[in-house]
Amino acid sequence: MRNMSVAWIGSQPVSLMDAIQNVAKLLVSSRCPVFTIDADVHGTRSAIALAERVGGAFDHIHGDTLAREVALFADQGAMITTPGETRRRSSLVVLVGDIPVAHHELLLHLAGSNPDLGDRNKRVWFHVEGALEPPSDAGRLHRKLRPVAIGGEGLGLSGVLAALRADLLGRNQTGSLANVDRLKSALGKSRFPVFVFSGAMNSPDLAMLQGLVADLNKQGRASSLFLPTDDDAWGTALTSLWMTGFPPRTGFSDSLPSYDPVRWDTQRMVRDKEADLHVWVSARGTMPPKGRIGLVSLSRTEKRTEGAAVTISVGRAGVDHDGVAFSSRIGTFHSLTASAPSELPSIASVLQQLALVFPGRMGLPC
Amino acid sequence: MLIRLVGGDVIDPVNGTSGRRDLWIRDGVIVEAPEGGAADETHDVSGCIVMAGAIDIHSHIGGGNVNTARLLLPEQHAAHQPRPANTPLSSAGWSTYQTGCLYAQMGFTTVVEPAMAPSTALHTHLELADIPIIDKATLAILGNDDFTLSLLRDEKSTAMLDDYVAWIVASSRALGVKVINAGAAAAFKDNVRSFSFDDVVPEYGLTSRSIVKALQASVTRLGIPHPLHVHCNNLGIAGSADTAAATIAATEGTPLHLAHLQFYGYGTEGKRKFSSEAARLAELVNGNPDVTIDIGQVMFGQTVTISSDVMRQFSALGNANPKKSVIIDGDGNSGGGIVPYRYKHDYYGSLQWAVGLELFLLITDPWRVFFTTDHPNGAPFTAYPELFELLMSAEARDAKATELNAGALELTTLASVRREYTFEEIAIMTRAAPAKLLGLKDRGHLAAGAIADIAVYRRGKDIAKMFREAALVFKNGEVVVKNGKVTKYRWGKALRLNPPADKAMVKRMRDYHDERYGLSLEWFTFADTAIAREEPFAEVSCKS
Repeated sequence: MRNMSVAWIGSQPVSLMDAIQNVAKLLVSSRCPVFTIDADVHGTRSAIALAERVGGAFDHIHGDTLAREVALFADQGAMITTPGETRRRSSLVVLVGDIPVAHHELLLHLAGSNPDLGDRNKRVWFHVEGALEPPSDAGRLHRKLRPVAIGGEGLGLSGVLAALRADLLGRNQTGSLANVDRLKSALGKSRFPVFVFSGAMNSPDLAMLQGLVADLNKQGRASSLFLPTDDDAWGTALTSLWMTGFPPRTGFSDSLPSYDPVRWDTQRMVRDKEADLHVWVSARGTMPPKGRIGLVSLSRTEKRTEGAAVTISVGRAGVDHDGVAFSSRIGTFHSLTASAPSELPSIASVLQQLALVFPGRMGLPC
Repeated sequence: MLIRLVGGDVIDPVNGTSGRRDLWIRDGVIVEAPEGGAADETHDVSGCIVMAGAIDIHSHIGGGNVNTARLLLPEQHAAHQPRPANTPLSSAGWSTYQTGCLYAQMGFTTVVEPAMAPSTALHTHLELADIPIIDKATLAILGNDDFTLSLLRDEKSTAMLDDYVAWIVASSRALGVKVINAGAAAAFKDNVRSFSFDDVVPEYGLTSRSIVKALQASVTRLGIPHPLHVHCNNLGIAGSADTAAATIAATEGTPLHLAHLQFYGYGTEGKRKFSSEAARLAELVNGNPDVTIDIGQVMFGQTVTISSDVMRQFSALGNANPKKSVIIDGDGNSGGGIVPYRYKHDYYGSLQWAVGLELFLLITDPWRVFFTTDHPNGAPFTAYPELFELLMSAEARDAKATELNAGALELTTLASVRREYTFEEIAIMTRAAPAKLLGLKDRGHLAAGAIADIAVYRRGKDIAKMFREAALVFKNGEVVVKNGKVTKYRWGKALRLNPPADKAMVKRMRDYHDERYGLSLEWFTFADTAIAREEPFAEVSCKS
């Protein structure tokens, strides 16, 4: 992208500083700015700090899914483990529901190894599925893992999980699940079974799964491996938690942070015109939804964002510049090295410059 | 810039120069009074107590488990209020930003996060870097990871263990080493539900004692200033005093620090089989100069317990209040449990409160007892001002005791102990002794050459108010707090050791991660630049 425009006011290419000053003016005059974020840790930190500075609210681009994943922990908690411990210790891995394609590589990687701790048995795979689930993009995964399917005729995932939990507790029930005896046998042999799930499941299913894991821990051991639907979104959640005490969908209208997954759903606020300025921050270059309020786009794009009052082209951590991101491969943050360094500015650097042209000219705290 | 603090009552036990005198600061450092020098800035602190900035050696302020606690407890029902009273953590500094500000307002300038899993070190340091004003440090957890346990099981050389410990400390940028219920997290994965000092980890055939002893010796050989920081087995259960006593007896001439001893101060006497053994433990500590301890004082109200002692946390799930929790079977040392809890004025809460105070008051040497609530496990650190008052006023203890369970207090010696901490002892316990324990020669005192971390408190009858709102706080010579309010944001550093890495150990670690995790070592290590702050770390020397 060398020598290409990186900033536009409306459809006109401008210098980066002109664009930044224009964004500052829009933010200063905004009554209720909202930030929708898709960035690495440092981009997220700067965006949250700016939202705090201007009394705005922030959310992740995948806010709905993230809110559901956050609710799993906030509503009831969980028993979880890490990908590393699953690889090293679990001879029985049970997939639950659809696992996003982004995590298939991790599961295939697991399938290529066997535990070196615990019972050290050859790893076996099961898949708890609902008949009513939409078709998943799991063909290659299934061919490699060859999981034993656990399901029941006419039962959705909720029904299968409930029936399985009841069965494992020895409770009477109508109907039976396919292959449940094989799973019971495998559970009897495995000293550390792990149930793999994603936040794509709905909340009652997640709650039922955690109940099942808790049941198994009354006498033996079991855990679950949480694979966020979107790693970057989960990274944003963790960053938001330490910066504000709350997950995304937090607002600063009273200067102190307040968390409300309905009130501060930024894309809903844009649709309902509760906000008057939408700052769209996307290191992956995702296009913002159309809205009827002012739009500022900080996006990894080679052209102006349609409908945006100001567009600034930004780099992506791990591609254009170094950064830090959450990775489900290790269940925590890791540092990223630029794979194709470019002159595109990082989100953090743009937002820092923005803060410095604000009235008061105070830099962001991060 | 030359700054002068005029007319304060300086409490500086390290240098034996307590009394009314002026302090001079130049370029962030305390200096001798310059001959004929005129200050650029003068602060009249007459009528005030002047101490070095306080140092907290054990407070869970950042990292994976702390952040998971935030995730567990957003208390959505209170969404329209910033942080209302009487919800979990309503009095805690719950974001990194609040943490730094609230500590600074109380005159604390250095805080140690005592439980960093090496595999999540980057996360921990990202959080610590977002805590403003104060300096931070961490202790790296060892003793439940396969690599350590395999070395010990296979009777590898002490040199190899030392190389590994040094690599962990250096790569995770830690200031010391902590062991948490040594071996128990590994045993728990094999469905072991209780684990004492001489119990054996199934996979490895090692006792908890042998793990502690090996790490204690390694830390000492490496010249790591802070002795091995030990979270003993059997935390919180009746009879845990026996475990603590056995651990104290196991020092055998080598330094050892026991964390949050209050949680091990319990015997099995009385109708409820839950009694105070604080007097016995205090006597053991008094008689063993190798031992230092911090208290982990319980105060009352809502909090959340956060611990990498996953076995203990799992056993406490039934006490969760509210009824939700997170249990993590992590990689090696990275697991833990987050269980919210409310300390009530009932028999158990009253006894725990009294046990902590007994330990504070019966351990005679303020250089070996440290001021902590094991934030947030015994209480949020924001309860410190009230705790200072309890230590400095027998009358305040008596008044509080009237609100508590009389039956519990009768089983303690607390009412008969009339000791009151002096300002000198407070300065030792919260400044001089922590600096010495951590090997921080540049702080904890007010002699020329020390960094100008200074807390000024306005004398008053209300001790809690005095310590809650410092009149002035200087961090590296800058005024950061005035009249209990933060006036300047700045960014402290994370203090770390940097022992040289053995090349053979680095190769071994590469091979280990490739083979056991199928991932390169680079997934688990990071450069300082990943923190995205200017000079995020400051190096502390090992003993030569």
